[in-house]
Amino acid sequence: MTATTGTLADEVWRLMTAQGVLFAVDAPIRQTLSNLVEFFATRLQRDPAQVQAELEAALAADERFTREEVQGQVIYVTSRQGRYIPRDTTDPHTFKQRLYEPEHPLPVDDLSVVVSTSPPAITTNEPVYISDYWIEQARLLAAAQMPSPPAEKPSVEVTETVVMPKQPAAETTMAQPLSEVPATVEVPPTTPAEPVEAAAVTAEPAVVASEPTPGEHSTIMTVDGLTIDLSRSPAEIVAEHGPALERILAERLAQDPLRRIVSFGRLHYPESGLIGFGKNDLRKIRDYILERNEPLLDTEIIADLYYHNPRQSDYETFRFSLNYRLSREKDFEFVGVEGANIWSTKGLPTIGSKRVKAAEMGQLTSYLIEGFDDSLADQSAESIISSGSVTRLLTFFEWEYGLLPLDAALATLLPAPLLPDQRTAVLRFESPQHYSNYLVEVRYPTGNRGGWLQGLEDFFREYLVPGALITISRTDAVNVFNITYEEAGETTERLLTFDEKKNRFAFANLTFYCAVDDDLLPTQNRYGKLRNLKAFPMSERRKAEMILEHVCETMGERGGTREQPVYRVSFADIYVAYNVLRPASRSFLQALLDSHASIAADPTASGDYLFTMPQVDRDDTEEEETTDDIDLPQPTLRRRSGRYIEEDE
Amino acid sequence: MDAKTIVFGETAIDRLLQWLRASGEPKDVHELLLQYLEILCKLVTEESE
Repeated sequence: MTATTGTLADEVWRLMTAQGVLFAVDAPIRQTLSNLVEFFATRLQRDPAQVQAELEAALAADERFTREEVQGQVIYVTSRQGRYIPRDTTDPHTFKQRLYEPEHPLPVDDLSVVVSTSPPAITTNEPVYISDYWIEQARLLAAAQMPSPPAEKPSVEVTETVVMPKQPAAETTMAQPLSEVPATVEVPPTTPAEPVEAAAVTAEPAVVASEPTPGEHSTIMTVDGLTIDLSRSPAEIVAEHGPALERILAERLAQDPLRRIVSFGRLHYPESGLIGFGKNDLRKIRDYILERNEPLLDTEIIADLYYHNPRQSDYETFRFSLNYRLSREKDFEFVGVEGANIWSTKGLPTIGSKRVKAAEMGQLTSYLIEGFDDSLADQSAESIISSGSVTRLLTFFEWEYGLLPLDAALATLLPAPLLPDQRTAVLRFESPQHYSNYLVEVRYPTGNRGGWLQGLEDFFREYLVPGALITISRTDAVNVFNITYEEAGETTERLLTFDEKKNRFAFANLTFYCAVDDDLLPTQNRYGKLRNLKAFPMSERRKAEMILEHVCETMGERGGTREQPVYRVSFADIYVAYNVLRPASRSFLQALLDSHASIAADPTASGDYLFTMPQVDRDDTEEEETTDDIDLPQPTLRRRSGRYIEEDE
Repeated sequence: MDAKTIVFGETAIDRLLQWLRASGEPKDVHELLLQYLEILCKLVTEESE
């Protein structure tokens, strides 16, 4: 093919593909030779015969074109993809063929089998909620319609020799005395097919023997993995599974969608029998609580607002209805304990110091949850229960803020929360030595946050000093406790105090009349360095390791080199100083000291620790700045990962 | 009644409800459980007889 013919063939191909631009890529595009000659002769202004000769030569040499002759007319065929290749339509697996010529055709007995005149039903599976009530009713109905067991039924053989007697021969077996019946009975086959079944029964006697016969009623009920024999007396069952069953029953009743039986605490009553309390009642109760300015007992509300008398027959129902109704209202909060239903409402003054937020205090007492609660070391739980009192020494932090960590000893003495989602309880602490009483809020532990008591600030600051020995004991009322201390002669000491205006610790003369533990009494003579403690914000004090380093640095005797000082500090000093900044038990402190990389026990003196500061290269400027800050030491920077490293960052 | 068909906390709750309503005052969950077990025991033993 010459360049001219190639160019001509290309031009023809472009022309024809432009003509069939909307065709399928493999669809034939046809054009007659006469049309092509006419087009190019006109366009090139040349002789048609010459143009025809050149076209025939060019298209014959190009493989994209196929020449056809139809009724004496020459036609050239091409396609958008090049040479036209006719489609192969010989497909044996067409849907049409499979539809009309199935491989295994069904017999056509009736035309309706093949052709249906009615439209097919459209099936839809929509979820239908069926109340548990109807499910239960259906179950009861089915149980009632079950055939009753035969009047005389051997008792032993049913469980021992349950050989499913499907064959007629088995009737003979059942009629025999049971003692003579073997454990496995081979039933003679009656039909050729049955020996296999009989053999199967014989081969698995143990499995078959454990299953009761279809007509027998089982008395064994399974409840959440507990197996309960209902043939025993209820008292026996309760003695064995009482607490678990109580819990499950209460849960199931609470899940009842109809809420037929409602509960408050451990008490239950039909919902339909409750006495109604409207919005006016609730407003009246709320106003009354606000007027009294403290959380109130349900009995007080009933007596003062509704003039209901405990001798009235519906008193308990009325009381239950009130408690149940208030428990479902957002404006009221239950702050009672078992035996004393106390209600608080929005707008009441906060009990206890506002200087420590609840979230911060929960973090400060988290060591109790983490297993560092050694409060039962001095006084066992048994002795607390039997004596009904807890004795403990006050630390500076507890004295300053009127808080007491809810450790195991106090938790043993104080009542547990009544409701599952109860966060607080309000108790009354009476001081028989001063004829005064204080509302104390118990904050129960939640999750990884510890619990505490708050509201004793006035009592502590007025009558006690850090290191005082206090005793908390039960009274006849479940929500009232006595708080006492050992009295002593008048003593005046220069003790650590916290100057809130200047936000720093200082020593001041205090006169007190209580017996104290001298080791915990923060006197200036013994613990003069305490004034150098930095009063960190409460949010910082949760960083246990950082506080420990600051305490060691402040309380320790400096040694080592100028670049790398080493502080020697005793455990007793650490305990006192640490408890100035935040509450901590001895076991918690011990664990902190043991796990700290820069603190090691002093091998030369038992009970002393050496805190090695990291080596710091200081220039003269830094030295001067450090000298200026002697009065108010800065906290040691965190140098390694600690318990709160994520929050620190 | 076959004990296997009993759903603890659902079966015969209506009878427990009747008892509770007839008692006329709220009951502790311990008493409630005792009564409920009594009802269930009766259901099982009475119908099997």
